[in-house]
Amino acid sequence: PLMPGLGAAQPVPGQDNLAGQFGQMNLNAQQPVYSQPGYQQPGYQQPGYQQPGIQAQPQAPHAATHMNQLLPSDLIQQPFNVLELDQPPPAINLPANSSATPSPFANCPPQYIRSTLNTIPTTHSLLKKSRLPYALVIQPYGALRDNEESVPVVSDQVISRCRRCRAYINPFVTFLDHGHRWRCNMCNLTNDVPQAFDWDAAAQKSVDRWERAELNHSVVEFVAPQEYMVRPPQPLVYLFLFDVSYAAVTSGLLATSARCILESLDRIPNVDRRTRLGFMAVDSSLHYFSIKPDESENNDVSCLVVSDIDDEPFLPQPSDLLVNLSECRANIEAFLEKLQSMFQDTPNTSSAMGSALRAGHKLIAPVGGKITVLTASLPNVGTGKLEMREDKKLLGTSGESKLLQTASSFYKSFAVECSKNQVSIDMFLFSSQYQDVATLSNLPRFTGGQTWFYPGWSAARPEDAVKFAREFSDYLSAEIGLEAVLRVRATTGLRMNAFYGNFFNRSSDLCAFPAFPRDQAYVVEVAIDETIGKPFVCLQAAVLHTTCNGQRRIRVMTLAIPTTESLANVYASADAQAITAYFSHKAVERAFGSSLDAARDALQSKVIEILQTYRKELAGGGSGALSLPQNLRALPVLFLGLIKNVGLRKSAQIPSDLRAAALCLLSTLPLPLMMQYIYPRFYSLHDMPDAAGVPDPATGDVVLPPSCNLSSERIVPYGLYLIDDGVNQFLWIGRDAVPALLLDVFGVEDRTLIKQGKTTMPVIDNDFNERVRAIIEKSKDHRHKGVGSIVYPALYIVREDGDPSLKLWAQTLLVEDRADQGVSLQQWMGMLREKVVQ
Amino acid sequence: MADFEALKEQWSEIEDRDGVRLSWNTFPSSRMEASRLVVPIGALYTPLKEKTDTPLLQYEPVSCKPPCRAVLNPFCQVDMRARLWICPFCLQRNQLPPHYKDISQEQIPPELHPNSTTIEYRLARPAPSPPIFLFVVDTCQEEDSLKALKDSIIMSLSLLPPYALVGLITFGTMTQVHELGYTDISKSYVFRGSKEYTSKQVQEMLGLSHAGPRPGIQPQPGRPAVAPAGASARFLLPVSQCEFQLTNVLEQLQRDPWAVANDKRPLRCTGVALGVAAGLLETQFVNMGSRIMLFAGGPCTEGPGMVVGPELREPIRSHHDIDRDNIKYYKKALKFYDGLAKRVSHNGHIVDIFAGCLDQVGLLEMKGLANSTGGHMILTDSFTSSMYKQSFARVFNKDADDNLLMGFNASLEVLTTKELKVTGLIGHAVSLNKKSSSVGETECGIGNTCSWKMCGIDPEASYGIYFEIASQGGGPTQLQPGQNKGMMQFLTYYQHSAGQYHLRVTTVARNLSGPSGDPAIAQSFDQEAAAVLMSRIAVYKAETDDGPDVLRWVDRMLIRLCSRFAEYRKDDHSSFRLEKNFSLYPQFMFHLRRSQFLQVFNNSPDETAFYRHVLFHEDVSNSLIMIQPTLDSYGFDHEGSQPVLLDSTSIQDETVLLLDTFFHILIFHGQTMAEWRKAGYQDQEGYENFRALLEAPKEDARDLIQDRFPLPRFIVCDAGGSQARFLLSKLNPSTTHTSSSYGGVSQTSQTIFTDDVSLQTFMEHLMKLAVSGTN
Ligand SMILES: [Zn+2]
Ligand SMILES: [Zn+2]
Repeated sequence: PLMPGLGAAQPVPGQDNLAGQFGQMNLNAQQPVYSQPGYQQPGYQQPGYQQPGIQAQPQAPHAATHMNQLLPSDLIQQPFNVLELDQPPPAINLPANSSATPSPFANCPPQYIRSTLNTIPTTHSLLKKSRLPYALVIQPYGALRDNEESVPVVSDQVISRCRRCRAYINPFVTFLDHGHRWRCNMCNLTNDVPQAFDWDAAAQKSVDRWERAELNHSVVEFVAPQEYMVRPPQPLVYLFLFDVSYAAVTSGLLATSARCILESLDRIPNVDRRTRLGFMAVDSSLHYFSIKPDESENNDVSCLVVSDIDDEPFLPQPSDLLVNLSECRANIEAFLEKLQSMFQDTPNTSSAMGSALRAGHKLIAPVGGKITVLTASLPNVGTGKLEMREDKKLLGTSGESKLLQTASSFYKSFAVECSKNQVSIDMFLFSSQYQDVATLSNLPRFTGGQTWFYPGWSAARPEDAVKFAREFSDYLSAEIGLEAVLRVRATTGLRMNAFYGNFFNRSSDLCAFPAFPRDQAYVVEVAIDETIGKPFVCLQAAVLHTTCNGQRRIRVMTLAIPTTESLANVYASADAQAITAYFSHKAVERAFGSSLDAARDALQSKVIEILQTYRKELAGGGSGALSLPQNLRALPVLFLGLIKNVGLRKSAQIPSDLRAAALCLLSTLPLPLMMQYIYPRFYSLHDMPDAAGVPDPATGDVVLPPSCNLSSERIVPYGLYLIDDGVNQFLWIGRDAVPALLLDVFGVEDRTLIKQGKTTMPVIDNDFNERVRAIIEKSKDHRHKGVGSIVYPALYIVREDGDPSLKLWAQTLLVEDRADQGVSLQQWMGMLREKVVQ
Repeated sequence: MADFEALKEQWSEIEDRDGVRLSWNTFPSSRMEASRLVVPIGALYTPLKEKTDTPLLQYEPVSCKPPCRAVLNPFCQVDMRARLWICPFCLQRNQLPPHYKDISQEQIPPELHPNSTTIEYRLARPAPSPPIFLFVVDTCQEEDSLKALKDSIIMSLSLLPPYALVGLITFGTMTQVHELGYTDISKSYVFRGSKEYTSKQVQEMLGLSHAGPRPGIQPQPGRPAVAPAGASARFLLPVSQCEFQLTNVLEQLQRDPWAVANDKRPLRCTGVALGVAAGLLETQFVNMGSRIMLFAGGPCTEGPGMVVGPELREPIRSHHDIDRDNIKYYKKALKFYDGLAKRVSHNGHIVDIFAGCLDQVGLLEMKGLANSTGGHMILTDSFTSSMYKQSFARVFNKDADDNLLMGFNASLEVLTTKELKVTGLIGHAVSLNKKSSSVGETECGIGNTCSWKMCGIDPEASYGIYFEIASQGGGPTQLQPGQNKGMMQFLTYYQHSAGQYHLRVTTVARNLSGPSGDPAIAQSFDQEAAAVLMSRIAVYKAETDDGPDVLRWVDRMLIRLCSRFAEYRKDDHSSFRLEKNFSLYPQFMFHLRRSQFLQVFNNSPDETAFYRHVLFHEDVSNSLIMIQPTLDSYGFDHEGSQPVLLDSTSIQDETVLLLDTFFHILIFHGQTMAEWRKAGYQDQEGYENFRALLEAPKEDARDLIQDRFPLPRFIVCDAGGSQARFLLSKLNPSTTHTSSSYGGVSQTSQTIFTDDVSLQTFMEHLMKLAVSGTN
């Protein structure tokens, strides 16, 4: 297998093959309406249907160069089918012998980098003409932990780089001069091949350079020698900032967080026994905790309260505030036990979180590391204090955009300062009231962190407690990188023009990450500055970082893409999902920086522009049909999904915190999760095939039912459905669901006895309940999507005839429906056709 | 003249009964007469002098109508029938309250008994809070010193009544207030050492302000309407409740953790710590008896109140530096501590300063805190020293009823009959700025008031109170028959450590002199009291003015006194004679001039502040020891000790000397004695008498130390030893390197290398000047 869990390399699917597949899909998508009111009818046969799953980009380096065919498709006549989203991106067809080795892994798989264009124009003008963006969606990690993905490691510290452009040697360099020199595939400079490529000085024996991972694998990790370090590798540092004000204590946040850390101590990466932890609590004062090594004589934990928060922060003592996990393990445990109830009687409703952050920064800045903020309050005193500025009347109006703009300049400038000192901030936000997520999210945005939002969270609800505890524990166990920089190099003529994601853009092409997360993706826009004379170009993303075990490493990903002078070839190889991801970032930028209207309008204009360009330049222009190539068919739907996403949707019902949190996700999610977030997964359960909900005999993975298009037309009154956007899951019970179904799934026959809202599936000893639960669990599992994620979606049970607001919420995920102020897919396509064709 | 010894006896009895010694026991009846006395009319008064002979009255005192408010006393005329009494101070008639209805000649209430010139009432008014002890502990110390200090504080908890409230503040680079009411873990509030915090800030930062919710706070539904728990529940708790926690915190207390470079002093924010302590007590304990007990292991080097910079190469200021006015921090620090002292004394809180450091800690700058609040000042080399440990323990001495021998929040009011006016007080108090008809026109010490506040007061605390004769009228006004006495009444209200307010009333009546030239005045001169009262004025002047002027003032006053009261023929100094009750006075002044109180350059500024502080606290006899130390000799030729002259001639080879300077107790072995002792004769059979001779001064020294506070430094030395300098510096240099060895002085006596004049020379000059009539 190419990659664990991915399909085997297949022959390049020819045009007919693809078309055939689509044809079959369309056929299958016309699901026969299951007319029986009963479910699980014996004899019911799902037509032989194959779940496509995620497929690897087939590699064919030695095949003759050929281009993907432009396959026009009528978007109205042949409506979008959800299964098209599971198709791999258009193939990258490189000329024969492009790579130095015949390795099937020579080019970068789409899991790591997806290019919006898998064949790029040779000139800027052609790119401009195409109206398509040229950008890379880079997802450097496929899992939270090393043992969940396999990337070859080059550990001999022989790192050959181009003297001029500093590119890392890769499968696409060419060897010259009897193999003594190599020509850089980026800048054409010839470089000496290091002796160690052929001779192992330590072992005193010759080695076969062709076996070297960096010549066979597009994705490799180099162990870096001394010169890659500005200072010795720093230990992993977690500084926890606990909100201990009334809101955080009474919601159970403090107790849950403390207990969760306590229970996760073994999961926190600490192989080198250098990991350090620090704890601070904040209300109107800062509370530092002094923890002594286990073997010290006086080893009681003490709390040092600093209420002087207005001036430059200061540390109450020089040591014992940031302590070695291994050396202080017992005392840390004792402390975390106590912390859970330490503030239980607090009447304090203030939060000096800004001041606490500055103090925390001061504490860990000499080392760098993570500040993990767990708060349920709006910072309302001290540095960077914020106002409750949300006004329900503003929602849905143009005034709403102001709420998404940063309310205090402190947050961005502080975040930049943190970045300089290798401090990364993650925000776990739990307020049941306005918390100004828009402003607070600046902290993670510029420091390589993340904003996690748990609106209305309460530990009293087991689902909330479990979800957070599980996510937080996974968060703590993630093997993040430290002191990282990302740089993307490319063949001469290409230039990295803009970067999107959570980091600080330190110089024109260098993105700095005090901590490098394993669950985020980045978008880099590429400009074509010069006419490219080569048949293919190379782009190389390198993440220099320190592992949480104290090793300096560089993860290098090299992508080769063929070039073309033909617009048709450009269109035929465009990747609808990568394009959507790019525009998602652009939309978020507009939403935070300008307005939601501007963001939505730009998306709409863009899709119209692409449709018009295709129609004018490639489809002859005359036809009244609205068409796009096969590979871009999903684009209008994905754009609609994006416009209707909670982050961007026009609505007077969405609190700005919820919007801001969604926008944070839209600008950080790895591509597969982003696609699900804008076009959720929708499964029909009452009539699912027998194979669904049970492990596949071959792989052992639970088989999911086929996805459905997100339209209420798919919903029958007696049905049971699961809608899952990767963050929330809705289990939809039709108003006429039969008692037998309910009894099997929920253990009751009476619909009204089923607990609505956020809940946990009852465990009932029957096959169907088990399968439903297995599907819900499988759908929550992001790892099988080839991404790292800590998110454990919350499950809501929705009765069609139950709580209307809950039902409405679930329905907003039905992207193809008309809802609130959003248009249906049909209206959307009609509007597009109107704009494009006339 | 009258029998001097009998008079002395009488004054001593009065002192025992009333705690009062007067410079003049007959009051002049005219202002002119008074001005010729040279030494002002003054009283050295010990308001809380322990009294066991009179009952503690359990009822409210009977007072004269306002504004007089004089309290019924044995000098009042009482009309038993009419149940009226006439106030001797304002001459108003007052009705006795109804419950005095059974009064008769045979049945008089205790306060009217002739012996009840001093009487104490326990008032119904309870103290608003139990006594509060706030320990302010310096953690910039060597481990052993800090350990000893911690142990002593832990020990003191057992000496406190269980209901007393205690709190802990520690400081070093920063200041920490320990929340003793929080028992889950040890918790403290940290204040930066470099910043001056206002009281309001301190309260807010400790979460003790009771202000409403701050603006911008979102209303929290379901939020309990709990006010933040007060300081009493969090920082100041009854000993019985927090002893375990406090002991635990103290035991865990570490040295200040901030690194100190070799060329630096540790950063020590004494000023912030004291400011925070004051602020903490300001939250809800104003006018409630409290002691802020500062334990300083070194000088303040950080933030407000800094007395020296952290650079070691920068020495801490000396008297010379202050004299030359070339020190960076002095004035600023003084201003800071004086401001703090004003606040603290206004709030009725005491500041005690315990210094445990070989070097100075900044007592000079901080002295106002202890001086104006009646706090203790203890200067020791280290908290490991027994001098510190025992002195500290004595702070918690108790009376027979097991009550701490300390009073809080006292006020001392002086009432006078109209001939007398009070001009001021010198002692550890602050003015209450109370005007009355008893307030004089001139000012001596803290004047322009008839009432003073002592935040802390103890049974030894003595105050110099000065009077003048009213200017109006040329002589005694028309008095009622039998009223030719001048009177003063001292009313001392204070919070007793047992929890009630008490009132101590001392009424003093003395004859007014007859027509001009009445010899009774001269005969009534108490030279000891006068010397002490004059010393207080001199030192008070020295504190405010410059040294040399004060010496000149002392000389001038002495010469004038001698001119006025000595017998002599003009310009014939050989005819100069002083009456017995004046004869020692010149010596006292001679020694005062030489004492550390006025000759500061041999001491550090901190020592000066300390010595002066103690002088202002003690009664006549202790003060005299400080001014003119006592010297006793032990030899084979006599049994026990024998007082000898404080003179270099007293040093003999075959005697042992015992010197008591109050601050030092020194045993000095004459040369032969030292040699024998070194040879070990005292351990040999047949030399029992030698052993006894060596032991006797030690035993006597132990007796002296017994009740002394602060514990004196105990020195044993030999002739020729370096420690002997303590003795030599105190002796009259009758045999200096400049004096001839043929002056009838024993060849064996010690020669003192000094340029000071000897007593003999001093007296010669005095006599010449006194008789010259130019004064
Ligand atoms: Zn190059
Ligand atoms: Zn009266």
